[in-house]
Parts: sequence; structure tokens; C-alpha cells
Amino acid sequence: MSSNKYFKHEGPWSDANDPLMVSDTGDWRTKRPIVDKDQCIFCGFCAIYCPIQVMEMVEKSHFKPDLDFCKGCGICAKECPKKAISMEPEGDFQK
Amino acid sequence: MITKAKEKTQIKVITGNAAAATAAKLACPDVVAAYPITPQTEIIEQISKFHANGEMDCELITVEGENSAMNAVTAASLAGGRVFTATSSWGLVFMYDAVLAAAGSRAPIVMVNVNRETPGIIAVSSGQQDMISTRDAGWIFLIAEDCQEVLDLVLQAYRLAEDYDIQVPVMVHYDGFYLSYLSEGVDVPFQEDVDTFLSVLKDQPQRTKLTPGEGLGCGSHGILGGYLELRHKHVSAMERSKEKFDQIDKEYEQIFGRAYGGQIEEYRMDDADVVLVGSGSMCGTIKTVIDEKREAGIKVGLLKMRMFRPFPGEVMVESLKGKKAIGVVDRSLNFGHKGGPFYTELKSFETKFEGSPMVSFIDGVANTDITTANVATMIDTICDLAAGKEVPEVTWVSYPEANDPDSAKVGGQ
Amino acid sequence: MAAKKGKLTKVLDHLKHEDPFSKGVAFCPGCGLELLLRFIPQVLGNDIVITGTPSCSAPVLLGQNNQSWHKLSYFGTLMTGAAANATGLARYYKKAGIDNTVVCFNGDGTAADIGFGNLSGAAERNEPFIYICYDNEGYMNTGIQKSGTTPYGATTTTTPKGSISKGKNLRRMNLALKMAMHKIPYAATATLSDLDDLAKKLLKAKEAKERGFVFLHVLAPCTTGWGHAPENTIEVCRRAVKTNYFPLWEAVNGKIKMTKEVKKPKPVKTYTELSKKFVNMTEEDHQILQDDVDYEFCILGGLSQLEGECQLPVSAED
Repeated sequence: MSSNKYFKHEGPWSDANDPLMVSDTGDWRTKRPIVDKDQCIFCGFCAIYCPIQVMEMVEKSHFKPDLDFCKGCGICAKECPKKAISMEPEGDFQK
Repeated sequence: MITKAKEKTQIKVITGNAAAATAAKLACPDVVAAYPITPQTEIIEQISKFHANGEMDCELITVEGENSAMNAVTAASLAGGRVFTATSSWGLVFMYDAVLAAAGSRAPIVMVNVNRETPGIIAVSSGQQDMISTRDAGWIFLIAEDCQEVLDLVLQAYRLAEDYDIQVPVMVHYDGFYLSYLSEGVDVPFQEDVDTFLSVLKDQPQRTKLTPGEGLGCGSHGILGGYLELRHKHVSAMERSKEKFDQIDKEYEQIFGRAYGGQIEEYRMDDADVVLVGSGSMCGTIKTVIDEKREAGIKVGLLKMRMFRPFPGEVMVESLKGKKAIGVVDRSLNFGHKGGPFYTELKSFETKFEGSPMVSFIDGVANTDITTANVATMIDTICDLAAGKEVPEVTWVSYPEANDPDSAKVGGQ
Repeated sequence: MAAKKGKLTKVLDHLKHEDPFSKGVAFCPGCGLELLLRFIPQVLGNDIVITGTPSCSAPVLLGQNNQSWHKLSYFGTLMTGAAANATGLARYYKKAGIDNTVVCFNGDGTAADIGFGNLSGAAERNEPFIYICYDNEGYMNTGIQKSGTTPYGATTTTTPKGSISKGKNLRRMNLALKMAMHKIPYAATATLSDLDDLAKKLLKAKEAKERGFVFLHVLAPCTTGWGHAPENTIEVCRRAVKTNYFPLWEAVNGKIKMTKEVKKPKPVKTYTELSKKFVNMTEEDHQILQDDVDYEFCILGGLSQLEGECQLPVSAED
């Protein structure tokens, strides 16, 4: 075993110049946000309030969650002033 | 101590605390954190004065407690600064969590600890119990005998702590009251000589530093093997610090004309039959009594421990091998073990001494003076031991009641 | 037919910098802390140095072995001395002439309880950094225990419902007001429902730390610990503001100014009804909490009407 197997430095330093760690948080989701593009007024509230900041802008017309990481908390749906986002059971998409 | 004649000297009559403050000034730290506690306070007063007069260009943080002193210098050190702080007794204990964090994060801090008894028996008096209370913190511990050595050790401590191969915080200990307030002649080095001595560090690779925007973080979780790896690195660095300290002591002599011997200082050890092992200010008294006993034909020597963490077992074994009897003087107690802490640790090397018997002396606790008479008693005891007579394993020299075996049998009164 | 496109929220204008965090990090769904932690560097920049303590933020703020969850330079420290650590960093950077924004990021356990002494000390010395307390009103990471900011009536695992007790029987401390009373260059409260307000306060904080100590107190609800539905995190914040349970204000050199006036404050019950931690409160308990909220707001109102500019004396250590 190499003496520097876990750390590159003498002390307890981590180095973000190496790839960041990432958890598969999309896998936690029990409900999936579905954005109704037609209802969306592109106000951006879903994006600013999303705790994991995964609502991506699509062509300056609407927002779309990154489902690889969305935990399905439902804040986007709750905060949408037009109720353009619905939370659908994740199981419906697993078929 | 070996002193070579130097062309230029500036002798000043100053206290141990002033010597510590002067050494800190000469080391030009970037950040100093200060909080008062007897008998350390004079150090931070002196530094504050240097700072107020523009003689010390550092950030001086007058913190609201020792815990913050240690936290502030730890962070400043990891950011890349040279740092200094000082404390004593309860103050050292109050910063204990930060003392551990400093060592674990490998911050090369230099701190002076002016030894004093610890709670809960309130004792504004000298003793090494504070040092013993923090012995497993992962710091390097150095101990000074007199005011000159206080100054010299603080400067040597920077070379040791900040050495790229070491990167371990160093605590310089000296006896409160006995040295903190004792004024004696101290050869104060010239700034350019100190700069030369410390400049070696600049030529080394630079340690990892916490810099804005660089994406490096200190304080990462050590997960499983990662934790073991860092602990092993730390333990290894402490092992390396032994020889490094010897080497630094030699380099110090080249520039300043004073050498002590590194991890240990030997006094009349070459032909000694019996040996006292001691540390700190008691060693001056012991040397005096040794000289007297020598005149009476008793071949006694002193092994002075200048380094306690890491424990300089190897050089001590070399020095003590073949001696007829050894007495270890402890200025502190080892709760849970009858013998003193230094004694207990040295005892683990006993098989390597080729059979020299060992005994423990507890003395100098809570400002009970380790008098010449006390030292003479200790030497008489180890002479008896060498002669094959039965002597107690542990002797409380200034408290004979403790030496009555019946005294330990009943509690509650 | 597609809806008419509205105006994009101006909060997005404040997010000028990249989110430095990995997309997948282990905060609970609906976590207020996660939103706050991702928000701060998007406003202040990725060159902040952040310090973190054992807490819900630690598993993400601090790395694991050589790996990190984010790109920020950080220092993982002790709850007891967080403000002192940040002091050490800021002072060294000052001495070395390194531009810096040190953000000392702590929960209420550190800020209000175990680390309050050094927080107050750093404020007294007017140390040049930003201290942010994310207040989830208790020790959430260790399993939801009571802290100094846990409000009256809240059930936690150390203020449980029992046969003779039903939640915290003591009022919460007003941490932000205590800090403002240090007359530091900038102190403010903020929460996650009012992100424009939060962003402006962060920018003011960055500017004010050039003059010394900055304290931001951000209410950050914990869905797991408080027992509100994950989607309600923002709504909980909103109602905290609308009931004056958590008024939004700022204090420059100790002079307090409301940053959001609530015209007709709602009863505090409209706030507590969203979280299960208040479920054991009776009508009488609610009245006690309401009285306390009214009392705190009354003090704040009085202070905010004080005339005259309060000038911070120049720090002796500047």
C-alpha cells in the first residue's frame, strides 16, 4: 500500500482540483417534478428556490429539472406562482 | 551547555518571560494571539509593548480566552503565517480541544507554556502537571532549564515546527515562578543572526497553505484508512523530530555559540555510576549538588531532558546504559500509576539499560522547592540502590507522609 | 396556448458566480441549509474562504480524505472556536496583503451556544470577516436537540413531550439583536423566502467587512428536525416573516432599520402550524409565544426609530 494512498498532503487537506465527489441524489426521489411548458411564465422562482440549484433554463422559455440530481422535494412545484409544475410519483416513470 | 566565545554579544538581565517575548520578537511572527494568565502574562505584556512601539510588525489579536488564542493561531498558521502564543496551566487546559486540532491539522505553531499546577486544587504555583495533562496532544514538547535556554529554545522551536519534514506544533515549557519571574543574564542574539538561522526554512519546499480561490481545504474527514494514514504520518514526523532537533542544536551553535546537546543534555555523565534524570529549572540545583557530591567522591551525573515529546528514549538508553542506578525526578504526578510520568515512560526502556535499577522521585510540585538538601537525599537514595539496598520505588521527597505504606490504605479523612 | 412570459426574477441577477458545489450532496430533500450554502458563493464569488464546524454543513463543507464536495477553499474547525479561527485567517491575510472574504459559516448551536463567547469577542475586536449563522433552531445534525435559539414550545429530543412537560419551556435568545448591539459595521437578519433581500445583505456584508465585523443571521428551516413537509421550507420562512416571528432588518454601526415592513402581521400560529415541532403547544402556549414575538418586535421597532447616526469608534486594532 502506498504511503500516500488517501491524502496528497502532510495534513488533512482535500483538493478540489481533483474531481469533486458526487452522490446519486436523483436516486432518492419518490416524486418527479413535471414542468408544463405552456403554463410556465419563465419567472425563475423554481430555479432560485431549488435547494440543489438544478432547475436549468431552456431557451429562455421555461425551466427543466436535472433529474440526475433532483431529490424531489417539491419546493419548485410549491413556489411556482402559476402551478405549472406538478409532482408525479416516480414509480410511474419506472415502467 | 557549551559556550563558544563570540565576537559580538549583548547580555541583558531579563526574566524568563522577557526572554520568551524577546525570542518571539526576533522570530518575526505574522500573527500573535494573547490572553493573560499567571505566570505567563508578562510575555504578552512585553509583546504588546513591542507591538505598541512598532518594534514588532505582527497582527496582535487580544483574544477573549485561551481557546480562541489557539484557534486563531492555528488558522493563521494553516493560512501560511508564522505564529506565536503563550499560556499556562488552566489556560492550556481551556484550549485543549484546539491544541488537539492544531496538532491534527499539522499547524506549525510555536507556543510557550509556563508550567503551573492545574485544577481543581487551586495552586498558583509551579509544577509540570499542565504539561502532563496535554502530553498526548501530538505536540513536540521542549523544556528549558534557565532564561537563556528559554530564548534559545523558542528560536529552535521555530526551526523544528516549521521544518518541511516535521510540520508539528512545538510547545516550549519552563517552570513558572522559578523561571518566569527570575531575572538573569541572557545573551540576546542579534536580529541578523536570527534571520540567518531561520532562513533555512525559506529554502525548503513550502508547506500546504489555505489560500483564497485555490480549492484546498484543511479539516477534511479522515475516512478509515485515511485517518490511519494521517496519524501514521504524524507519528512518523514526531519520530523524525528527534534527530532534527539534535541537528538544529548543532546549527544553533554554529551561529550563536551555544549548544546543549539536542534531545538531552548530559552533565558529568561519562564516568558516572549513578544518575539523576531531570528537566527544567531543577537541573541547575542538581548540577550544583552533583559538583559537591563529586568532591566527596561520589560519581553522580545528570541526564537533563530537553525534549519530552517525542520521548527521547533512544538517546537516553545510550546515555544510561550500564549505570548502576537511576533516579528520575518528576515535577508532576501520573494519576493511575504510582511513579511519576517521566519515570513511567523511561521504565518502558528499562530492559535496554543492561539492568540498571530505577526509582521515582516526586518533588517540586506546587512550588515545593527542590532544594540542594532534597537533591542530596535523592542522590543518597540512588547510591543505596546501587549498593543493593532496598529503597522505595517511589519517594515523595517533600512529603514524607506519602512514603509511609500505611498512608495509602484508608480514605475519607 | 402558452402562457405569456413574465419577468425573470431579479434574484437571478445576483447569482453572478458559479455554484461551486457538486450537484449531488447529502442534504435532506427540502433542506434550507443546502439552498443557503449554494446561494452564498453564487453571490459572493468562489474565492471566499469558508469555515465550517461539526454540524449538518460539515459532511458537505468538509471533504473526505483528499476529496471535496465543492471548489471553495475551506477550513474545518471546532464549534468552540469558529470565530477565532476565522479571525486567524482574516488577520493573516491582512498581514500578508492577500485579498480575502472569510465567511465563518455556523449553525445556531455554534453561534448562540458553545461558540458565542468567541463570536462576541470577534465582534468586540471588530475582526474583518463575515460571520453567518444559519439558524435551524437546534442541534439538527446530532438528532434535533434544543439550543439557545429553539423557540418556546418547540419539541426537541432534549425538550420532549412527557407526562409533566411538553416542549421547550424557555424563550429563544435574540442572537441577531445581541450582535447588532456590538455596534459592528453590519448586522442583519435574512431568510430563504426573501432571496433578493438576502443577496443584497450578502453584498453589503462583503463591502462592510472592509470596515470590520459582519454578522448575518439567516433562518434556515430543517424539514427533518422541524417536521414540515419538504416542499414547505420556503413557505415556513415566508410565514416567519409575515408573522414577525423572524423580522427582516439590518443594522449599520448598530443603527437598526427594517428591510421589510409587514403591514398586517399574521398570528404566529400561521407560522407554527406548518411544523410538527410545535404540535404539542396549547392555545395558552401560543399566546406566550405570540407575546414574546410581539415583545421582541416592539423592542426592534423602538430601536429602529432611534434618531441620530451611531458611529462606530475606530477599532484600536485597525
